[in-house]
Formats: sequence, structure tokens, C-alpha cells
Amino acid sequence: MKRLKLPMTRKLDLALFLVLGLFPLSGLLFYTQLIEKYMVFLIFAWSLDILWGYAGLMDLGHAVLFGMGGYVMALSLSAQNGVPEFMERCGITQMPLWLQAITSPWAAVLVGILLPALLAWLLGRFLFTSQVGGVFFSVITLSLAQVFTLFLNSRQDYTGGFNGIGDLPGLALFGEPLTLTQSYYFVFAAVLLVYLFCRALMNSRFGLILRGIRENETRIEFLGCDRSAFKTAVFAVSGALAGLAGVLYAPVNGMIAPNDVGVEFSTAAVVWLAIGGRGSLTGAALGAMLINVLGNMLSEQFGAFWQLLLGFVIVLVVFFAPEGIVGKLAKAVKERG
Amino acid sequence: MDSFFALLLNGLNSSALILVAALGMVVICGLMNVINLAHGELIMIGAYTAFCVTQKAGLSFALALPAAFAAAAAAGAVLEILVIRRLTGKPAETMLATFGISVVLQQTVNLIFGAQSQYVAIPLEGNFSLGHVVVPFYNIFTILFVAAVLAGTVVFLKKTRFGRRVRAVTQNRSMAECLGVNSARVDTLTFAFGSGLAGLAGALAAPVKSVSPFMGGPYLVYSFLTSVVGGVASFFGTTVGSLLVGESSALLGGLSNDVIANILVFLIIIAIIRFKPEGLFAKERR
Repeated sequence: MKRLKLPMTRKLDLALFLVLGLFPLSGLLFYTQLIEKYMVFLIFAWSLDILWGYAGLMDLGHAVLFGMGGYVMALSLSAQNGVPEFMERCGITQMPLWLQAITSPWAAVLVGILLPALLAWLLGRFLFTSQVGGVFFSVITLSLAQVFTLFLNSRQDYTGGFNGIGDLPGLALFGEPLTLTQSYYFVFAAVLLVYLFCRALMNSRFGLILRGIRENETRIEFLGCDRSAFKTAVFAVSGALAGLAGVLYAPVNGMIAPNDVGVEFSTAAVVWLAIGGRGSLTGAALGAMLINVLGNMLSEQFGAFWQLLLGFVIVLVVFFAPEGIVGKLAKAVKERG
Repeated sequence: MDSFFALLLNGLNSSALILVAALGMVVICGLMNVINLAHGELIMIGAYTAFCVTQKAGLSFALALPAAFAAAAAAGAVLEILVIRRLTGKPAETMLATFGISVVLQQTVNLIFGAQSQYVAIPLEGNFSLGHVVVPFYNIFTILFVAAVLAGTVVFLKKTRFGRRVRAVTQNRSMAECLGVNSARVDTLTFAFGSGLAGLAGALAAPVKSVSPFMGGPYLVYSFLTSVVGGVASFFGTTVGSLLVGESSALLGGLSNDVIANILVFLIIIAIIRFKPEGLFAKERR
């Protein structure tokens, strides 16, 4: 009898989805809500993994794309009953035109996904067609994150400033607010769909070329592929997925603030991938879950020590497991036969 | 007209601060080809050293400057020996590791001093007025001091025996080793020198900017963009680059507001990097 042989990473994926799918049955309401939020982070982690893990483009300001989706959704949700409160406080009495356009939640979903994709596409178009190397991409995206945070903090009338936009209603479908379990499984379904999409995309010819670009750009160019077009495309797709994560994050978390979308959150995602492992989707997912769950357990008791430990772990991972935990595991399994 | 002149002088002052920070970056990134994401934290170390020397120990600011240089240089030397050296030729890994280091340094300082902003007294009180424009003495001191640091760095690298070795190692490592240069030691000292310059930038900025564990981020971005715009290996280019960044954010900031100015400067720099990735004043590389 032939046994279906799955690679180790797929088994880990299955195990993760099994745990996530069954978790609400435990009845731990507080943790169900928390895990729901972390599931949104999975989408964000994958969006960075297809960009950095597969195509080798280290985006240090990825949360900008996440934040654009999140803020579009948050603005739309807060404008359901006329002019949002924080805008009124700044003296805006009339609904601005652009806000009217995204008042319908479905319009907001669409804009929240397309706007970051557009920004990524434009930036990619502009940068990748020149000789700009990988390091420049990292630094430009890093400074973009700083400018974006600055912008959010200063345009208090449109973004709620430092405090962000709070008191957002949870997920709702066709005007009916969802219960916690319903909303959990709604997010779970979205996570599964995004996972299948990323898997299929990375297993396709497109994904193969991306890995080729990561390994040897010049050779890919000699093989007749327009590398800048592929890089721009993956950046745009990654932007759309990051935007989707943001769109889900706003209602799931109930609020959004500059801290959730700036340099800090961008670097957090980089840490998940570095520790979990890049270029397998599995590593990104496990890294994101592991660090968030551990961080939640430890940061209350240890505070800054947790961050300090995280810094040390990054350095140690670079030296002793540059392929990340999952990469290291996969290697060990392979060697054992 | 007066306000324009005031903005120009303000811009000159911030240009000077950016220049010292970027000089360290030029030494580390331009000469050694290392992307150090902990550069901002070396600046932060310099600022905290200045804080400790002047506020905690109650000593003069004149002592704080060399102390900041020494503290940051020592940190840089340790960083080079423990981390950077082992990752030669792996730019992505270097970026990730130095990023981890930056988190470690931020949190260590955070644990020791707390997250709140620290205050460093302005060492030179008083100001004089030119027409209607008031110029603090400390700004003049900063500009002159930075000019001296720039001249000193150039002389140090071009004229001294050690500077010659540094340039020999960056131009042809194996040849320099054949001629008896201890390249590992040169690497450590070069990195320490660049880090020391970063520390000096932190000490100079401490009295006029906020000193906190997380102050490094913007400095990292500014010094990187400045050195890239000028051409990473050119001191003249870096000077022009810092003038460009400092003056344009001050002038645009005066005309509109700080945020729009920052966004505009950022866009201009992206455009420059896009069309001249080798920098405005790149040296011909053979």
C-alpha cells in the first residue's frame, strides 16, 4: 500500500490549522479572542514571507501596507453613524467626500486591499526598474514606515492622531454582528483561503521565478525573465494581502493606532520570520504564533526583559539557525532520512 | 526675509548634526561595506554618555564629548569582534543581526534608565542677535565643532599611517595582508572609529534633541539617506548630502509644516536614489 508522503512543513501546517480550528471548543473566551487577533497576524506574516522569504526583498516597513488597510477599514467603521466623534472634536462637521466613498464596508474592504497594493506597485515600479539593490529597498521601506507614523500622528483630524481610532464595532455580515465564535471562524476561513492562495502561488512558475530571483538575479534575467516585473508583481500581491490583514485587524482588535502600524510592528513581523524561518510559509506562521503567544504570556511578568530576550534570540538565530526554526527542523528530518 | 535667514541657520545646525551621524555611517558602510542597523543605537549610547557625564556626574560638557566618543567606539569594537566579523560577505544576515543588537541595546538602556526622555542642560547659554534673528551660541559651537570633526576625519584617513592602512585594506584586502597589514585589527579599529563618530553625534544632539532609549531610529534613517545621496564613499558628497537633507527639511518645514517637509524630503531622496543609486558625488571605482 502506498502511503501519502507529506513534507514535514505541510504536516506542521496541518497541525497548526487543526489546533486553530478546534481552539474555540476549549471555551476560553479571552484566549479565543486573542488567538483570533493572532490569526490575522498570520495573513500579515505570509504577505511578508512571499516578499522576503521567496523573492529575497527585505521589507522593513511592511506594516505601512497593513496600516493602510487597517485605517481605511477603521475610518469606514467609525463613520457608520455620520461624522466620526474624533473628527467632530477637530471641528469637522461635514462628511468629507473620500470618507463618504468608503462608508459602505464592502467599499472599504475593496479600497483597503487595493490601496496598499497600488502603493506597493507604484513603489516597485519606481524602484525595481533601476539598479537599486536590496539594501536600498530595506532602507527606503524603513523610512517610509517612519514618515507614515509621522503622518498618522500629525493628521489628528483624519486619523485620530496618537490615540488612533477606537471603539470600533466587531465583524458583521449583512448588517448582523457576528458572535465571537462566528467571527473567529470567519477569520479562520480567511486565513485558510490566504494560505491556499499563497501555497498555490508559490508552487507555480511565478513562485519558482521568485526563488530564482532570490538566489541569482542575473541568471534569471539571462533566462529571459523580466526580473523587475516579477518583483513589482510580488510586491503588489504582498501589499494586497497585508492590506487584507489590516482590514480584518481593525474590527477584530476594536481599535487601531499608530503603534500598530509603524516601525515597531514592521520589525515585529521581521522578527517572526527570522525566528520561524523564511521561504516556507510554515515558518512565518509558526514564528508569528509562537512569538505572540509567548510574548503575551511573558511580557506581563517580564516587560522589557521579553524584548531584550527577543533581541538576543534574533542574533543567536542568525548565527546558529540562519534558516529559522522550521528550516532547521526540516533539515534535521531530511538528514535522518 | 529675517525668518528665511533664521530658517537657514536652523537648517545649518541640523545639517551639522546629521553630518556627524552620517560620517560614522560613511566610515562603516562606505569603507567597510557593512550595513549596520544598530547605528542609531550607537548614537543613543553617545547621548546617554553625555547625560551621565553632565547630569549624573556633574562634570563639564567638554568632558562629555570625548567620553561619548570613547563609549560608542568601545561598543562598536565589541560589536565588530563578536558579530560583524563573523558575518563578512553576508549582507542580509548582517542586517538582521545588527537589527537584533539594536533591540538589545534599546532594551538594556530602557531597563537601566527607563523609557522617559532625559534632559541634558545646554552647555553654552546665551545667544546673540543678527538683525532680528536670534542665534544661540550652542548652535554656532555645533557647526564649528562639526566642521573640525569633518576636517579631522579626512586628515586622519588621508594623511596618517593608520588611515593609509584603512584605505589599503578597503581597496585590496589580500594585497594589504601580503604587505603585513593586520586586516582584522584594522577592521575592528575602523568600525570603532565610525561608531565613535556616531557617539559624538549623540552627545552633540543631546542638549537640543530628546534623549530616550528609542531615539536612534530617525537618526539611522537620516544618516543612511544622507550618506547614500552623497555617495557612500565620498566625504564631500556626505557634506553636501547633509546640507541638502538638513536645509530642505528646515526650509520646507518653515514654509509648510514639519510633516509635509519630511514627506517631501523623503520623496526627493527616493527620487535621487532611484536615478543616481551610486550617489551624487560617487568616486569612480576601478
